[in-house]
Amino acid sequence: MELKYDSGKIIFNRGLSNLDKLVIKFTKILAGEKIDYVIISGYIAILFGRSRHTEDVDIFIQELPFEKFVHFWNALEESGFECINSSNPKDAYYDFLKEMLAIRFAEKGTIIPNFEIKFPKTKYNIYSMKNKVEVFISSETLMTSEIELQIAFKLYLGSEKDFEDARHLYKVFKGNLNIGLLQKHISELKVEKKAEKVLWKKFLN
Amino acid sequence: MEKVPKLTKKDFKELEEEMARNKRQRMEFIDLYAKWLKKTPNKVWSRQQAKYLDK
Repeated sequence: MELKYDSGKIIFNRGLSNLDKLVIKFTKILAGEKIDYVIISGYIAILFGRSRHTEDVDIFIQELPFEKFVHFWNALEESGFECINSSNPKDAYYDFLKEMLAIRFAEKGTIIPNFEIKFPKTKYNIYSMKNKVEVFISSETLMTSEIELQIAFKLYLGSEKDFEDARHLYKVFKGNLNIGLLQKHISELKVEKKAEKVLWKKFLN
Repeated sequence: MEKVPKLTKKDFKELEEEMARNKRQRMEFIDLYAKWLKKTPNKVWSRQQAKYLDK
């Protein structure tokens, strides 16, 4: 894997899967609407080579006024997406997003994969939005969460799949990571014991 | 109808050991795969990944 990871930027060229193409299509709409966003969680591991599927791509978007959200909703519909858990923008905005619940968009007539959209709420959500990594992939651009945070947060989430994602990212980015920053996140999230078992432990000689 | 086996403490211990072995082997695979990814050109691994994901 050839990639450059430096000062908030990752540059790499590779072939795109259908999932990558769909993510790029969706995030282009966000960028076109000038909506600040960050991709978090499982898709990041897949973006960097993990060999697994996912049902959803998790994205935080900046908190928007209702009128701007309606514009975004319409832009998605015009591009062939539909919201699968709310039938109109008013309910989606007031009953979901403003209540810190996620809305999901998929291509019309499908249910997976879908984009799970939320407003940031917790300290870590807000940190993710502020400390994004710009990924340049085969002439396209995606905004993802900081890799160090992603690894630590996967430990915090704690399922087997999360642990595998954490180790995958750690192994793939080893040599490019800010280890001090990773350890700070691990310590803040109180996942030192999990890090010991999942990241630092040697499995292969 | 076939009888469901009655599990003893020893059986549960064996199941737990099997789960631990599986977990360890999954992690070994993650390492093996990450090692392969790191030394493989993007064009090659991404083609394989897309083939798997697009199935």
